[in-house]
Amino acid sequence: MPVTDSPFWNPKTETLPREQLQALQLVKLQHLVRRAWDTSPFHRRLYEKASVTPDQIKTFDDIHRLPFMTREDWMECQAQKPLFGDMITRPESEAIRYHLTSGTSGRQPLRVLDGRKDWSWIADMWCYGFWGFGIRPTDKVFFAFSYGSFIGFWGAHYACEKMGTLTLASGNMSTEQRVKQIVEMGVTVVCATPTYALRMGQTAEKMGIDLKKDGKVRRIIVSGEPAGSIPAVKQMIEDMWGGKCGDTAGMTEIGTIMIFECDHQPGGPHIIEDHFIEEVLDPDSGEPMAYGERGERVVTSFGRGFMPLIRYKTKDLVCKVPYTTCDCGRTGDIYEGGILGRVDDMKLVRGTNVYPRAVEAVVREHSEIEEFQIILSRRDDVQDEITVKVELKPDQADQWTRLEGQLQKDLAEAHEGLRFNVELAAQDELPRFELKAKRLQDLRPQY
Amino acid sequence: MTNEATDLLGNALSADERELVDIYTRLKALSGRDDLPPVATANAKQAMVLMWNACNDLALICEEPGCD
Repeated sequence: MPVTDSPFWNPKTETLPREQLQALQLVKLQHLVRRAWDTSPFHRRLYEKASVTPDQIKTFDDIHRLPFMTREDWMECQAQKPLFGDMITRPESEAIRYHLTSGTSGRQPLRVLDGRKDWSWIADMWCYGFWGFGIRPTDKVFFAFSYGSFIGFWGAHYACEKMGTLTLASGNMSTEQRVKQIVEMGVTVVCATPTYALRMGQTAEKMGIDLKKDGKVRRIIVSGEPAGSIPAVKQMIEDMWGGKCGDTAGMTEIGTIMIFECDHQPGGPHIIEDHFIEEVLDPDSGEPMAYGERGERVVTSFGRGFMPLIRYKTKDLVCKVPYTTCDCGRTGDIYEGGILGRVDDMKLVRGTNVYPRAVEAVVREHSEIEEFQIILSRRDDVQDEITVKVELKPDQADQWTRLEGQLQKDLAEAHEGLRFNVELAAQDELPRFELKAKRLQDLRPQY
Repeated sequence: MTNEATDLLGNALSADERELVDIYTRLKALSGRDDLPPVATANAKQAMVLMWNACNDLALICEEPGCD
């Protein structure tokens, strides 16, 4: 069989029976914990405090003996011993890459280092995802990405070079220049955040370009925001571009992606389980959640050698379902609906839980809306208010009267009857984003 | 050729897998030498980490190659 006919980047381990997959994870976990114990003072300290040693990791369930690692631990470690803390396992001089977390949450960014091997592994994880979504060496892949200190699509770029695609970087380009090049070059795959994929589509319309007719894009790979798995957002992107939209998700702390949507798109991305252990736990008790229940992602990564990540509490909200939900042949389980939000993203408004992703899911059902913003405020120092400001597409202004009422109704129905204020924003009033969108403003006094 | 007999799951290595591990092992040895010109060392290291990927992904090895 020609190599390009394989639907899997790595048929051997992507289709391993579950019991063998878990046996492989155990071998890798034992090596990882031993190495962390031997070479990372941070981890040795963590394990000694929890009275656990590498020799005690004998079965897969022994992972529960290991203490969690948190972002706060990591930040503290870097603050105590700048710049990288004492968790790095090799001399700084052996690193070849330096990156920072995106800082979406407004906290001090984390600094990360990668060695030569780590960087190659980071690209390889993206290869699992790109190959699995049907990208092949004959493709022309365009990265709408700034190529800065945020790790973003860096690994994906190197993955495409490894796979042998024609790889187009666009770090210094304006949105108009990007759209133009995508059409001119006959680009077949576009990579961007979901927000920016929409923005490029909107810009193309304003330029008089019909991407479906004038372009050759057959796949749009998105990452960086939970919106990538919201069906209405994907539909909007597909309608604009004329290609299939697939979600991926990763994080700077692991340097790469740990989940990707396969070509069958069963409703969520597969976990790359030969390289990660992904636990879903109750955020408060730490107890494992069953299939189909929402909980916090806790990740163990086998690939990043410089900075071991073992039982890292991500604060991502997910819902795991069995691999049998998909008939692609992979045995990696699936996160239904992708990353559902952040455990700490939840806002309490007059006693009702509000997740920005859930608001976006409602807003994006209305194709007349081009951009939106969520504003939380407090009236008379007493009552919390939630306002959704929406900016309509230029030719949709006459829809406002109908849309205003419909949107209020839909948002209330999705939030236990909570009343939302809905306001119309002027054309181009709301901010646009290239990387991760920040659409929520909480203006309430913080005590 | 490599002396490794099994993969991480205890399965006997195929001829192709033995060859991959063998190439990785030889590249690792080259990468560790300090008597080669920079052009040889740097490219051996790059090639070595790529082979590490192939061998690690295929569950043939589980180690940190350790190179700058």
